[in-house]
Amino acid sequence: MYTLLHGFYKYVVQKDEYCVLILGLDNAGKTTYLEAAKTKFTKKYIGMNPNRITTTVGLNIGKIDVDGIRLNFWDLGGQQELQSLWDKYYAECHSVIYIVDSSDRERVSESKETFDRMIASEHLTGVPLLVLANKQDIPDCMGVHTVKPIFNQNAHLIGARDIMLMATSALTGDGVDEGIRWLVDCIKRNNVDRPPRNHEDNL
Amino acid sequence: MGGLFSYFRGLLGAREMRILILGLDGAGKTTILYKLQVGEVVTTIPTIGFNVEQVTYKNLKFQVWDLGGQTSIRPYWRCYYGNTDAIIYVVDSADRDRIGISKDELVHMLREDELSNAILVVLANKQDMAGCLTVAEVHQALGLDALRDRTFQIFKTSAVRGEGLDQAMDWLSNALQARK
Repeated sequence: MYTLLHGFYKYVVQKDEYCVLILGLDNAGKTTYLEAAKTKFTKKYIGMNPNRITTTVGLNIGKIDVDGIRLNFWDLGGQQELQSLWDKYYAECHSVIYIVDSSDRERVSESKETFDRMIASEHLTGVPLLVLANKQDIPDCMGVHTVKPIFNQNAHLIGARDIMLMATSALTGDGVDEGIRWLVDCIKRNNVDRPPRNHEDNL
Repeated sequence: MGGLFSYFRGLLGAREMRILILGLDGAGKTTILYKLQVGEVVTTIPTIGFNVEQVTYKNLKFQVWDLGGQTSIRPYWRCYYGNTDAIIYVVDSADRDRIGISKDELVHMLREDELSNAILVVLANKQDMAGCLTVAEVHQALGLDALRDRTFQIFKTSAVRGEGLDQAMDWLSNALQARK
C-alpha cells in the first residue's frame, strides 16, 4: 500500500527531465549564459559574478524548472582540443543551444564550421537547435540580420529539425527567457522521438 | 525567519569548507597541499595515513585533507568522505601506464552516496614533464565524459613550478560559493 501511494506521489510530483547541451567556441559566453538562465528561472539564485567566470575545461551543470518540466544543462568547454569530447553527450541530449560571439567577426566563420560539424552527427538527428547571437550588449556587434544568413546556408544538414536564431545578451539577461521558452515547446513536441531522461524509472 | 537566520550566519562567517585531495601514490598530492598552504615546494615522503591543514584562500577557509595514495591504503579513503564539499583529484599526467588504475579509483569513488554533492576538480599534474597527457587526453582517460550530474573542471598544473594551482583554487572557491 505504501509503495502504491509512494508511486502515486512520485507520479504526481515528479517532473519530466530533459537535457540541454550548451555548445559553441571558447569565449562565446556559454557559462555566462548558463548562469543567466539559472538566475532567470530559479528564485533567490544569485548567479556567479560574470567577471569571475573562467575558461571551462570540464563540465558545468544546472537545473531549472520551466512550464512543468525540468531542464538539465550541460555546459562544456569550447576550446578546439575539447570539441572532440562533445559527441559523447549527443545521444543523450534533447536539445542543443549553440552560442555565437556576435562581437567576434574574425571567428564567426570558424564558429559556423564547428556548427556544421556538430549538426552533421547522426546522434543529433531531429534534435531542436537554438542558435544564439550572443553579446548583443557590445556596441558595434553583428545583429541577427547579419548572423542569420551565415548560419542558414546549410538547409540540407538541418533537415527536419526545429531551428531558431535569436539575439541575446547573457551578460544583461536579454533574450534568455524567450529562447528557453521556445526550446521548451520544441522539446515537448519532440518527446516521442526523444523521451524524457527519467522515463524508464517512471514505468 | 529562515532568511534572517542565514543573514546572521553570513555575518558570522561561513562554515569552513572540507576538501579532500586524492589520487594515486606519487601524483603530487602532498606537494600541492603544502604549495597551497605555505607557498613553497617542500620535500615530501610517501604519505602513510594523512596530512590535514587549514588553507585560507581569498578569505575562504578550507580544511584540506591529503590522504595517502598507495594501493594498500586506498580502501581507507572512504572513511573520510562524509561532509566533503569538494574533491581535488590529482593525476600524474606523465604516468600513462597507471592512468587506467587512476580512472578505476575515481569511478569507484564517485559512486559513493556521501560524495554525490561534492564538486570535482581534476588536476592534470606534472605538466612540466615531457610527453605528458593533454587535458583532452586526461578527460578521456579518466572517463569523465560519463559524468552527467556533477560539476567538474580539469586544470593543467605543475606543483613544483606552482603553475595552475591559483586558477584551480579560484575556480573552486567560486564554484563553492555559487553552490550555496
